Amino acid sequence: MKSTELKWALLILVIVLLGYILPYTLFTNIAAWYGSFLLWTILAIAIIGINYLITRKWGE
Amino acid sequence: MVWWTIAIYIIISLFIAFLSRSGKQTNMVSYFLGDRKLGGFVSALSYSATTYSAFMLVGLAGLTYKGGVGAFGFEIIYFMGVSLVAFFGPRFWLVGKKYGYVTPSEMLGDRYNNKKVAMVVSIFSCLFLIPYSAVQLAGVGYLLQGMTNNAIPFTTGVVIATVLAIVFSYIAGIRSVAWTDSLQALFMIISSTIVVILIINGLGGVGSFFETLETNQPQSLTVPGNGFFSFFTFLGLTIPWFFFSLSNPQVSQRLFMPASMKSLRTMLMGFLIFGFVYTLVSVIWGFSAAAMFPDLANPDLATPKILSSDLVPPILAAIVMVGIMAAAISTIDSILLTLSSLFARDVYGYMKKNSSDKDQLLVGKIVIPIIAILAYLFAQMNVNLIAVLSVASSAGLLVTVPAIIGAFFWKRGTAAGVITSVIVSGVMVIILEFAKLKPLGLASGIWGIVISAILYIAVSLITKAPEKKADEFLSYLKTELKRSKIV
Repeated sequence: MKSTELKWALLILVIVLLGYILPYTLFTNIAAWYGSFLLWTILAIAIIGINYLITRKWGE
Repeated sequence: MVWWTIAIYIIISLFIAFLSRSGKQTNMVSYFLGDRKLGGFVSALSYSATTYSAFMLVGLAGLTYKGGVGAFGFEIIYFMGVSLVAFFGPRFWLVGKKYGYVTPSEMLGDRYNNKKVAMVVSIFSCLFLIPYSAVQLAGVGYLLQGMTNNAIPFTTGVVIATVLAIVFSYIAGIRSVAWTDSLQALFMIISSTIVVILIINGLGGVGSFFETLETNQPQSLTVPGNGFFSFFTFLGLTIPWFFFSLSNPQVSQRLFMPASMKSLRTMLMGFLIFGFVYTLVSVIWGFSAAAMFPDLANPDLATPKILSSDLVPPILAAIVMVGIMAAAISTIDSILLTLSSLFARDVYGYMKKNSSDKDQLLVGKIVIPIIAILAYLFAQMNVNLIAVLSVASSAGLLVTVPAIIGAFFWKRGTAAGVITSVIVSGVMVIILEFAKLKPLGLASGIWGIVISAILYIAVSLITKAPEKKADEFLSYLKTELKRSKIV
């Protein structure tokens, strides 16, 4: 895996880890829409953005 | 009304399926891969329809009902896992085209220079995916039964779904599957979104919707919440699904089909947008059920309850219900097609050396109904919580992931390593599932992938790698990926 790909992969890994860790620690007592629900929504949107950037040059 | 809606659905789908026939489906690549010429839009919708089965609006909504927001997290972790396509997609696509692979396991067999690899991986795929299809069929049965107050009994629903899955696969192979899938996906996302909007409005808008949850069921907005989603449970559910896009041949085979890299990109991005919306819709659906009917005995009834509530017009309810049935069918027909291609190419093709492409196609076509009937029989054995069983089959497929990653990133991987890792850890997963064992509190899938990775690496290191093939395969990829500016 070359360096640009590796960077993206690490970034995704960090986001995935946040998706595991934060809801069970920081947000575990926040019983509201702006708790885990919002967090996972934001992380999912970040993933869409990253995939958009990774694949931007495909097929050019 | 339900019968009418089902009839209209069948007529429209058959019409689309017949329209999709183009050219002659007289060889494997044409029948199972659509000549590697699928457009981006159809690829995206079909990928979505294949991935998102009846599980979403029945199982995931039920899981949200039962365990709260953890169900959303579970589905989002899966969703993040589809990013693997951004890395493996171009690699699959390039080698698929270069070496003419029809199935992902055929690719492994060639890369590890041993056809036994392809056969073993294929057999395990069938072993796990037939139960997975059965779960889908059972989902249809429950849904129709629950929605119509037993007017359509469980068995009738299951029979309808089985027959349609066979027919859609038969008409034009992957083409009819892809087109009927696309129709279903579009239909589903629109109708279910409308239902969710109606319900949220009926409950007084987004603000008061969440307020109701915050006051009445505060634990449903956190994990572990009411305890259902303990961290280990969450881990056990999510790990197999994170790798779904690689481990499940009915979706990884899709990486061979797009007409170009650009179509591949459209497929990935289209899926991500579709998946994000659909996940939100399904989870809010489950939350609505929790807000409206807090005391259901069986969480799988959450969806039928919502659809028969006063907030949803009966015609829309009928449409969504048939849509859920169609969702199950669109998953099953893709699995049927993939499994029969695996059997024909990798199992039959291994046993009968020098079998022609035409022979393999014939075998594939014969196997389609056989697999469907097996799934039908499994579905008759009543299952309780749909999501849990469905995950059990993806836990089993997880054992192929180390070999797939290794094929592209590790020269030293060997056929012996793959075969040992898949068989030993695959059998182990089956034993754990049957005995309902969770050593150290960890689910079967986690043990599966850990043991499989260790075995793959260890056995590969003490056996001889297919150096020539690995060099050729990897250097071809390296050149092509550079040329397309991907790395």
